[in-house]
Parts: sequence; C-alpha cells; structure tokens
Amino acid sequence: MKTRLIKSSLLFLIIFFPSLTHAQLEKAEFQASGLTCSLCSNAINKALKTIPFIEAVNTDLNKNIFQITFKKNVIIDIDLIKKKVEDAGFSIAKFWIIENLHDLKIENDQHALIDGTYFHFMHVKSQTLNGENRLQIIDKDFVAAKEFKKYSAYTSMPCYQTGMMSDCCKSHGSRVSPARIYHVTI
Amino acid sequence: MIIIYFSCPATAQELYVATEPASNMATGSIGLRLNSKLFHMQHNNRYSLRIDPEIMFGLSKKVMLHVNAYGSDMYQSNVRFEGASVYGKYRFFSIDDVHSHLRMAAFGKISFINNPAQMQVGNKYFTSDEVDLDGNNSGYYTGIVVTQLLHKLAISSSVYYLERFDNLNESKIPGQSLQAMNYTLSAGYLFLPTVYKDFRQTNVNLYCEFLASTALDKKKYYVDAAPAVQFIFNSISRLDFSYRWQLSGNIERLSENYFFLRFEYNLLNVFKNR
Repeated sequence: MKTRLIKSSLLFLIIFFPSLTHAQLEKAEFQASGLTCSLCSNAINKALKTIPFIEAVNTDLNKNIFQITFKKNVIIDIDLIKKKVEDAGFSIAKFWIIENLHDLKIENDQHALIDGTYFHFMHVKSQTLNGENRLQIIDKDFVAAKEFKKYSAYTSMPCYQTGMMSDCCKSHGSRVSPARIYHVTI
Repeated sequence: MIIIYFSCPATAQELYVATEPASNMATGSIGLRLNSKLFHMQHNNRYSLRIDPEIMFGLSKKVMLHVNAYGSDMYQSNVRFEGASVYGKYRFFSIDDVHSHLRMAAFGKISFINNPAQMQVGNKYFTSDEVDLDGNNSGYYTGIVVTQLLHKLAISSSVYYLERFDNLNESKIPGQSLQAMNYTLSAGYLFLPTVYKDFRQTNVNLYCEFLASTALDKKKYYVDAAPAVQFIFNSISRLDFSYRWQLSGNIERLSENYFFLRFEYNLLNVFKNR
C-alpha cells in the first residue's frame, strides 16, 4: 500500500513536473562570459550560493569556470543557474551537466528521457551511453549567440528555438504542455 | 583635442575611478561608498575638503541607482551639508564572450545643491563656468557610455550633456555658462595578481582617465587627466586613490586639481529580484 503510494507519487511528479527531477545529476560546470576580474567572479560565486539545490561551488578565477556540486535528492532547476549568472551581470559561454547514465540509447536529433527530464540530442552519433558523461547544454543563452545560430542548422524541430516541446513531440505520452526540453550535445 | 601624455598598457579592469562603466552591479546588491576630494582652491590658495557618502543599488541586470549626499568647507571655514543627488544607469546593449564584452548604457544624474553661486574671497567674487553636479551646482546631466572589455584591456568612453539649474538658495549668475558637453576616455590595467589563485588575493589596478568639457554657450573648455591606483580586497571591497589635474583649458573654475580617495564595500544578494 505504502509502496504503491510512493510509486504513484513519483509517477505524478515525473508526469507533471518532467523538467524538475534529476536523480543522477550530481555535478555541472559552466564557463561565464563578459568578465575578467575576481570581484565579478565573486558576484557570480555568491549568487550561485543562494541557490538552495547547490551543495558547493568551485571557481577557476583565470578561466571563469564554475564547478557545481548539487545536493542529493533535490529538485534541480538548470534555468535558475543561468538566471543567477545573468542577474549578476554576465552570461554563460558554455554549460555542461555531468550525468551518470545506464545503457542510454541516443540517436541524433532525437529526444531521450533521462530521470524524468527530456533531452534533445543534437549533432551526435547514434550510441549507447554508460557511466559518467559530460553533456553540453546548447539552448539559447547557454551558448554564445553565434554558437546558437550554428547549432540551429542541426535540427528542424522548433523546440530548439523555444526550449519548450512543440507539437512534434506528442509521441512521448501524456505530459503537461508545454514542457521544458534541454538541447544537448556531446 | 585630447592629448594622451602616456599610454596605458593592457591587462585592464573596468572599475573606473572617475567615471562609471557601461556594466552594472549584480542584481540585488548594495554598494556603500565614502568618497572624499581634497581640492586646491584657485582663488585663495587653500585646500578644501568635500565628502560624499554614496549608496548604490543593483535593481536589475540592466538598471542601477546611486544616491549621494555632499558636504564640504569649500565656501566657508567649516564643513557643512550641501545637498544630494540621484544617478541612474540603464544598460541597453550587451554582448558577452569569454573574457570580453561590449556594453552600452544610458545614464543620468540630477543634483540639488545648496551653495553660493559664486566664490567670495575677501571682497572679490569669482564665478565658475564649470558645471559640476558633484556638490557644487544644482542641475542634471544625461549621456551614453560604451565599454569594451577585450581579454585584459578595458576601454570606456562616454559623452554627456549637462545643464545648470539655480542652486537651492541662490540663482545662477548672469553670464555664467549654463550648458556643457562632457567627454571621457578611460583605460585600466590589472597590475596584480598576474595569475589568480583565490578570491582573497588583493588586486591592484592602475587606471588613466581623461575628462574633458566644452561649454556650449561660451568658447570655454578643459581637459583633465586623472590617473588612479585601486586595491580590491577579498573580491568584495575596494580602495581608490587618484590625483586629477587640468592638462589644458581656458574655463573659469574654482579648482584645477584635486586628490581623490574612495572606499567602497559591496553587499551581495541583499534583496531579491522578483
């Protein structure tokens, strides 16, 4: 009875909040752009530390690279990290999530579901992913404008322009529309 | 014409001392500043001190607001409260890349100052044609600033229009210059550290800035140089020291040179944005 309740609660969460659960997402890394000095890096560093699902932040002040460790068993919002960097006055140049994967089959220009979050793999070879993998998020404002324009050529699906699922994604079963979909490459 | 007496080498910062860059503070942060200027007064050969505390608010990634209060002994023997000003900046353009950015912002300031319109020395009166909204005159200014950060070189330039009002207690002097255009050109150099190890390292930045003004209703101008040294402590506070002097000009001014000292402390994530 109790197991059924837990299972149906999880199912409820996965169906209705597909962009929020991330059981295997432990780390992320990003390079910030628009800054050189440590006072600027500190503004980003301190802003990241106000995010409740972040456990720790490690900063490379020379390359402006921030390594994030997430807390366990929490809801992670990747878009909030980007917003904090932009509110600090800067931008994201590159963003990677580090996922622990088990036999995940991926195809180019296709969606894949990882722990309840939809990912759209672009500019990749068909393969099966195992173990720790670095996936670069290539959504708008997670890469420089000219990079975004370059990647736009690798898909004809409108979800890349908006970051949200469009009509072509209905085959993924019941969902609250529109759902956030993250576009990634390896 | 602006004459550059010395070149400013690369590796630079955009935390200029005499001017503001096109960049903004972090959203939700508050900056506290204590600014002080020691002027050499032209007409009575004394030094006068002006102190202006300043509070800065990062309202969003595009908008920031500063509020200043002014006090000095410029017109009398004791330091007295002179008035206040509000400054706002709106960043309307920004392209970021790794270790670089190009930004543009519009800015404006309005000052309400309670000071004599002229300087009295003995039984002589001296009128200044310089429009100075940092404690001397009531008025406003509005303009545009562009800042380019390219790896370690940051260059910034601004142009703005100024207009004098009557001071709160005394009207403008007939014949005094009322309107001006100001131009600035700034560059900065990150002297230390050569390689970052952590946030606690003290940064030393060197700046040189040029500030020029041309009166719009008279054929009067000045060009000033303002080199500065800046220390950043714990990536959270800063100490600026500068000497500004007139390189060239024919404008009537109360002072042609001053020492400047500022201490700034930043409080990050003080208030939530939405």
